[in-house]
Amino acid sequence: MKKRLLAVLSGVALGVGLILAFTSPPDLLQGDFVRILYIHVPSAWLAFLAFGVTAAGSIGWLFTRRMSWDRAAEASAEIGVLFTAIALATGMIWGKPVWGTYWDWGDARLATTAMMFFVYLGYLALRRTTTDPRLRARRSSVLGAVAVVQVPLVYFSVKLWRTLHQGLTIRPDGIQMDGAMVAALMANLAAFTLLYATLLIYRTALARIEEAAASERAPARSPVTVPRLGEAEA
Amino acid sequence: MRVGFWRSAGLIALRDLRVEIRSGEALTVVFPFAVVASWVAPLATNASPLLLRDLAAPVYWLITLLFGMMVVLRQTAVETRAQRRALALTGLDPAARFAGRSGASGLVLAAVAGTLVIPVIIFYDYRPPSGAWLMALVILLAAAGLAMLGTLAGDVTIGLRARTSLAPLLMAPLAVPLLMGAAQSLESLVAGKSIITWVLVLVIADLGLAAAGVMSARALEEISL
Repeated sequence: MKKRLLAVLSGVALGVGLILAFTSPPDLLQGDFVRILYIHVPSAWLAFLAFGVTAAGSIGWLFTRRMSWDRAAEASAEIGVLFTAIALATGMIWGKPVWGTYWDWGDARLATTAMMFFVYLGYLALRRTTTDPRLRARRSSVLGAVAVVQVPLVYFSVKLWRTLHQGLTIRPDGIQMDGAMVAALMANLAAFTLLYATLLIYRTALARIEEAAASERAPARSPVTVPRLGEAEA
Repeated sequence: MRVGFWRSAGLIALRDLRVEIRSGEALTVVFPFAVVASWVAPLATNASPLLLRDLAAPVYWLITLLFGMMVVLRQTAVETRAQRRALALTGLDPAARFAGRSGASGLVLAAVAGTLVIPVIIFYDYRPPSGAWLMALVILLAAAGLAMLGTLAGDVTIGLRARTSLAPLLMAPLAVPLLMGAAQSLESLVAGKSIITWVLVLVIADLGLAAAGVMSARALEEISL
């Protein structure tokens, strides 16, 4: 029941976010293309959050060996990869009319985000190679804990390098945006966070069912049979 | 008799280095292959001397990464399960095994990377920055990081059929902070700027990898048995 309520809540929040994104004023320079950022920024934020949760789940598994940590890590990584792909795609779609190109190697944020995407694709590929849940958790928890190093690198890339990507908009000294735009952005951030929580809960539950089904399917360990004469296979 | 952490790590490193010296694979196979790769790039691009000089540093780090992966991942590939079990039965601290293995790989990798500077200078007319000890420090820090990362990737993928393709896939993107730190340090050295920020990036990445390796050593040992 709580899961369903959360799903409905995130659906409503996404609807509100969408309305605000379309009714907020256009940007002076970017025009209506600024609306892409109401999806792009929350997707990027969700990716950071998701990979942080993957790291926490991995470290949690390393210390406690409880499978629930591993399930959360896996579910969060899958969602993170999905939202990183959305952030990359929307960034490129926005980049073409505003920067004049889909991809610019001079943009450190873009390059490091793509790297982060590949790291977590590798994480998911590693998980697919092992069917035994405990062995899979052992292998992937190490990678999940190490891979999170990409997150601060992506976040601070705009500070570390001179880059085409804009700097931090929301800073301790104030927000460099119009009030209506900030409202639309914040509403979408909240909506995407709710969506993440919903997806995480459902995917974790699914992983639990998958594990239970896999353990039921597993064959019994080498049964000892009574030796009989004349039944040897040709 | 209980052997301390550093002594255990030293013994493992010494053993790995002996194996390397005996087989000589890094020196006789990987290094010549890396030299050929550095030689093929200008041939393929038909580059002008000026362009080649610009390409020198990126090509050097790219080759260091690719051939460094070969060196580091080979170290974990040569050990059999029986050997790993025997090591575990001696009561060896898994973290010491990680430290020793990474130390040996790091030294071999630093030697390969250091020697690789020579063909890059010859083929690309590269002028290395003054302050050779700073350059050596950068190479050493990058090699240490790559070695630890390779040891982790090798151990995580141990026993998998897809290991040869999966381990580099995991290692290459994670090596980006190390490569960026190393490449930007050398660029700053050439430009006569301070390299402290980039050396710090390398040190932080190395410390992070060391912490991850030590923290996950027990789990990695369980995978390998």
